[in-house]
Amino acid sequence: MIHIVTAENRDQFTEQLEQAYRLRHTVFVDEMKWEELRKPDGREIDQFDDERALHMLYVRDGIVLGYQRMLPTIRAHLLSDVMPELCDDDRPSGPDIWEWTRYCVARAHRERGRALSPIANALLSGIVEWGLQCGVNRIIIEMDPIWLLRLVQLHFRVTPLGLPKRIGGSDIVAVVAAFDERTLNRLREMRGDHSTVLVEESQSKTVSA
Amino acid sequence: MSRRDLDRTLEFVRSLEHAKSADAICAAMLKTVSRFGIRHILAGTIPTPRSTRKQQEAHVLLHDWPQAWWDRYFSNGYLFVDPAIKHVLNDTRPFLWSELDPLCHDDPAAARVMNEASEFQLKQGFTVSLMTLDDTSAGFSFAGEKFDLAPEHHGMLQLLATYALGRTLIVEEPLQVPLTPRERDVLRWAAEGKTDWEIGIILHISEHTSDKMLRLVRQKLTASNRAHAIAKAIRFGIID
Repeated sequence: MIHIVTAENRDQFTEQLEQAYRLRHTVFVDEMKWEELRKPDGREIDQFDDERALHMLYVRDGIVLGYQRMLPTIRAHLLSDVMPELCDDDRPSGPDIWEWTRYCVARAHRERGRALSPIANALLSGIVEWGLQCGVNRIIIEMDPIWLLRLVQLHFRVTPLGLPKRIGGSDIVAVVAAFDERTLNRLREMRGDHSTVLVEESQSKTVSA
Repeated sequence: MSRRDLDRTLEFVRSLEHAKSADAICAAMLKTVSRFGIRHILAGTIPTPRSTRKQQEAHVLLHDWPQAWWDRYFSNGYLFVDPAIKHVLNDTRPFLWSELDPLCHDDPAAARVMNEASEFQLKQGFTVSLMTLDDTSAGFSFAGEKFDLAPEHHGMLQLLATYALGRTLIVEEPLQVPLTPRERDVLRWAAEGKTDWEIGIILHISEHTSDKMLRLVRQKLTASNRAHAIAKAIRFGIID
């Protein structure tokens, strides 16, 4: 299940958030070799992890196995401040558009060779469920273009914001991906489960926020 | 430069919304890429080793490929020695066929495939590696006699290939069981907003039969309700 952690409820998630920062370090620094993110304490935290960031934690038996971070586009985010060169078009921003970053799943739970691991599916479903509840209908993504086809097949309506560029040894393209009920149905069909992935408590938290 | 290429890419993506068949997608693609000297395209998922010619051909999703080369390629089992196929399976980055030269040096069979291809108007090529939702590798090749392609266009071709294949997988999503003409009629009237009772009157069948047929149609289309079935049928081009 997925917990949504914001400035409002982060006190209840201190320990899980610690785990999440370590998972980020393991995946992005140790595995993917994003050396500029390396931290001596093994917690990958950047300037965007402030009170406006929204963390989604996939937690099973108290262990954080998956993570992603949503940033509002009405203030500084990666596309505006870190990789503006990826955007050749007008940069989309507004309360209904958030940026999706730091998506990661613990290595042992990626289940290679399967369509979309259950945790990957839950994380994506988490974005769509949260978005549909909170009036967010588009996400900005910077990613390897190899993932684009999967998003298209999942019924995200993906529009490139620029052509792919080579940054630090990887190809990266910035896109804005719109989603709706169709996207959620598709993800649920693939999961074979039509129940919500968001933990009840975080649902009410975000709706009231 | 980059901005104009992005505009062309976006225009192509928009044009795909109206493409209802693999042939239409192929035509839209060739129109967009002919400025680069590209005359032929072929895209498909990669068959497993030892598959038959028929199975290999069924993996092709989009093609405008020289027929003579197609026949030669599949009848000689070239797919299993084709260095471009090997590259697609090993690397997610797009590549020019000229980058395959090192692979051909110590593999005479691979070198032969590439040499022969060049005699069939496929002198130069560019292939994009793709990965589908069910984790199947796919390749999208562009080829011609003489390319006029700058390195900064590689990313553009990668995007075009991705969208074209994504659209193809949606429009060509095979139906397990085809609809009968009568089921299509019932569905068409349901799409017009008619109730089972009204459809019954129009088609001279009972209300019960109309309801039963629509349930079967929903099953065939793996749709969760009537509206979903209608949406899918339109997407597949079964009804207009």
